[in-house]
Amino acid sequence: MSNSRPRGRPLLRTSYAEDLALLDTPAKRWWTAALLVLALSLPFLLTDDLLQLLAVCCVAAIGAIGLGLVTGYAGQVSLGHAFFLGIGAYTAAGLSGDPDGRVIGLGVTDIALWLPAAGLVAALAGVLVAPLATRLRGLYLAIVTLGLVFIGQHVFNEWSALTGGAGVGRPAATLEFLGRPLAVTDAVATRDQKLYWLMLVLLLVFAVAARNLARSRIGRAFTAIRDRDIAAGVIGVNLPRYKTVAFAVSSFYAGCAGALLYTVTGFFDPGSFSLLLSVQYIAMVLIGGAGTISGAIAGAFFITLLPRLTRELQAWVPFVSTQPNEVPNVFQVETILYGVLIIVFLIFEPRGLFGLWIRARNYWKAWPFSY
Amino acid sequence: MTATTAPSGTAPVGTAGAAATTIASRVRDRAGATPHRVAMREKVRGIWQEVTWASYWDTVLTVGHGLLALGVRPGERVAVLAENRREWCWTDVAAVAVRAATVGLYPTSPAAEVGWLLAHSAARVLVAEDQEQVDKALAVLDDCPDLHRVVYLEPRGVRGYHHPALLGWDELLALGAEHRAAHPGAVQRLMAAATNADLATLIYTSGTTGRPKGAMLSVANVDFAIRTVTDGGGLASPPPAPDDLLLSYLPLCHVAERVFTTWSNAGAGVQVNFAESIATVPANLREVQPTILFGVPRIWEKILASVTIRVASASPVKRAVARFWLRVSDRIGGRLVATGGRHTPATRLAYAIGWVFCYRALRDRIGVRRVRYAASGAAPIAPEVLRFFMGIGVPMHEVYGMTENSAIATGNRPGRVKLGTVGEPQDGVELRIDETTGEILTRHPGVFAGYLDDPAATAAVREPDGWLHTGDIGEWVCGTHVRITGRAKDIMITAGGKNIGPAGIENELKASPYVKEAVLVGDRRPYLAALIGIEVDTVGQWAQRRRLPYTTYRDLTSKPEVVELIGSVVDEVNRRHPPVEQVRRFRLLPKELDQDDGELTATQKVRREAVGRAFADLVDELYAPGGDR
Repeated sequence: MSNSRPRGRPLLRTSYAEDLALLDTPAKRWWTAALLVLALSLPFLLTDDLLQLLAVCCVAAIGAIGLGLVTGYAGQVSLGHAFFLGIGAYTAAGLSGDPDGRVIGLGVTDIALWLPAAGLVAALAGVLVAPLATRLRGLYLAIVTLGLVFIGQHVFNEWSALTGGAGVGRPAATLEFLGRPLAVTDAVATRDQKLYWLMLVLLLVFAVAARNLARSRIGRAFTAIRDRDIAAGVIGVNLPRYKTVAFAVSSFYAGCAGALLYTVTGFFDPGSFSLLLSVQYIAMVLIGGAGTISGAIAGAFFITLLPRLTRELQAWVPFVSTQPNEVPNVFQVETILYGVLIIVFLIFEPRGLFGLWIRARNYWKAWPFSY
Repeated sequence: MTATTAPSGTAPVGTAGAAATTIASRVRDRAGATPHRVAMREKVRGIWQEVTWASYWDTVLTVGHGLLALGVRPGERVAVLAENRREWCWTDVAAVAVRAATVGLYPTSPAAEVGWLLAHSAARVLVAEDQEQVDKALAVLDDCPDLHRVVYLEPRGVRGYHHPALLGWDELLALGAEHRAAHPGAVQRLMAAATNADLATLIYTSGTTGRPKGAMLSVANVDFAIRTVTDGGGLASPPPAPDDLLLSYLPLCHVAERVFTTWSNAGAGVQVNFAESIATVPANLREVQPTILFGVPRIWEKILASVTIRVASASPVKRAVARFWLRVSDRIGGRLVATGGRHTPATRLAYAIGWVFCYRALRDRIGVRRVRYAASGAAPIAPEVLRFFMGIGVPMHEVYGMTENSAIATGNRPGRVKLGTVGEPQDGVELRIDETTGEILTRHPGVFAGYLDDPAATAAVREPDGWLHTGDIGEWVCGTHVRITGRAKDIMITAGGKNIGPAGIENELKASPYVKEAVLVGDRRPYLAALIGIEVDTVGQWAQRRRLPYTTYRDLTSKPEVVELIGSVVDEVNRRHPPVEQVRRFRLLPKELDQDDGELTATQKVRREAVGRAFADLVDELYAPGGDR
């Protein structure tokens, strides 16, 4: 009966499809369209070095969405995200690498092949880890996933045939689609412009997929498990199954993000997949806002842009040096800021950046009342 | 006093040959003309389920056949004891289709009253909503010899019952489908035989002074009412149309909601949306954003009170902005009152700016953003309340009517509003005011056929020449509008010999957000006094803001600060009246008035005598010598 639906009454829901719609009000539709147009036109407005950074942001956002699904939606704290990122990165690099090169390479250079493969291998690793999550909760699960990072780091460091070895590294996956290189400067656009567009489109695909997953039966099961897993079990949510699905999907996202992450710089080394990387992703989810896709994206952009922002800080606060051997320097400020931000957000706005947005929106939503 | 010609295009009463136009034939014609448009919506499990005209008509046919299968014959009654919902309309229209009449009972009525009404109306089938209503019906079944079957709508809790009279709604539909297959066209044949004299519905008056009386409205009465509100311009202008939405939330047993829900739905195709319950009306209003909204004064007062509280407890910036624009809207309202509801360039400009900053959002929050016609009726309302709504841009119109004249008498017309009056007589309505008693009399084709089984009461209110005594005292304003000054039987004569209609003063008191009920006393007493019931939400909020601790309603009413607060409200009202009409003393009612204690009618009207009896000690205190207040 959608043809007879009265206009301008977004709250008058006449079907469940309408009730679950992603963009359920005209305002949301307009703002999303405007944001999309702005995002797509950024390459004409910004310099290439910024675009490169934004491309990294987009990839980091894919990884953060993955962690958000397992930690934010399903409530399973995972410190092992770096491990899954690493698996994805090495699967993609190994598949698309030069067969005659220094390290393992199979020559499958098409992104349409290595990207899903990287995701699937990581997802498989996630499924193998999932039984732990079905038996453990909270802190214990966090400690066990922490173990994964150390195992992963050891393997990556030692398996130099694939990874190039500690301190040496190897080239990242090759960006090619149907035999044509995707990120090469030509008459139409520069490499960084193309990279940004590619990563933005991939982010959109992954974000919309995650949002759809979150509003499906599976997503509702995740939320039920997060809120109280015993209660969820009692109302008929199959805990082992959904926890496994959560880890598998999350690892798939991590694998894809890992595969793409180093294609921007072109080179990476096994030391990258340390505990610090995991913590960085946890920070993205927490600062962005746990349990929301937009929050994960916002958090990923914020954390990824933070070093750049602190460097800009130097212009206003001259006594902070840009030299690493002077005190205080921007790198110290960055580390401190990092910790302070996590503390401040957890105390004052546990819903993160997304929570700030919710607050602003509710202020106007209730206008001219307060509730 | 007014035009006496009947509206053009009226079929003369009792034309032989052609079938009379009933709500059933109107629904049938709408289903034929616009089968896929939405007729009604009801929220079930969070979703507004839509009913198209085609499915509306199809269900009506099945229910009609079901009623025939249950043995309902023309001229008999079908009772409905349920909140507003789709089944109410289906049953109502189906009963009329098989030439039976619908009787609505208030779901809040206690079992004894339900039993009395069922026995008095001689209902053959009762449609009861849920276990609560089924229990009432089964308790009184033995006192109702005519009641054969009780159809329940909600099986929850009733499944375990094995009473031979019980029947589920689904079973009724199955019976109907079976009967429909066996006797195709049986309902249509009955509809073709319908006459204007057929009883269409039996509506019991609320009974503020005694037993309810069953007013019989014929097919012709209902048809006149429908034509007046839809084509006669009696309501909105332009008239209600299929694009209009309305929210159905007041009891359908009352004639006013029947006009808006069933009759304007069948007559004009207005989309009816059923509220989930009376408690969810604010939320449902926000969702539906109706274009036509009818409310009793209590509803409008409650919305005004909620705006007052929510502004008072808003954050400082919001509060300052809202207060400023509410002051502006008050000025706009005052100007509109003076012009009869037509904007001047200055008010239009002020409103346009205020719309951006406040009114648009405010109206959206309280669910009246898209209202193009708002009406208040069924009881007197304070002009301040109407002015508030006019000021924020809701076109408010006070209308007047009663069960006995099918709710059709007078109404304020868009652009010709006179505050404090109930408007001009509708087209085709003759209205005069008795010179000696001041009582309002009306005559038109909507005047009822009489009270069921009570010729004496009928004769008392209906003259042989068709004039109906409304029992309301009124006067002409500017020769066109009618002002009601009170109910004839409520008039108080103080010991000083002054006649006073209490309704006006009571409504001025009730216009305060802190006052829920005001009952004036003073008949054969030296001066006027009042029993006042506080509005617990607003006074509670006020007490919290003043950091005044309290526990219960009773505790709150005994606080000297609260008495002082109400005292200031009373003083404010007194300032507008000459000394004889001033409330000298008042007492706060120690409990909320309740239907179960007999203090309120089902429509939440105060039964003065019952209140006077229950709080006799307070009344005595009011007239005890010495002591101030």
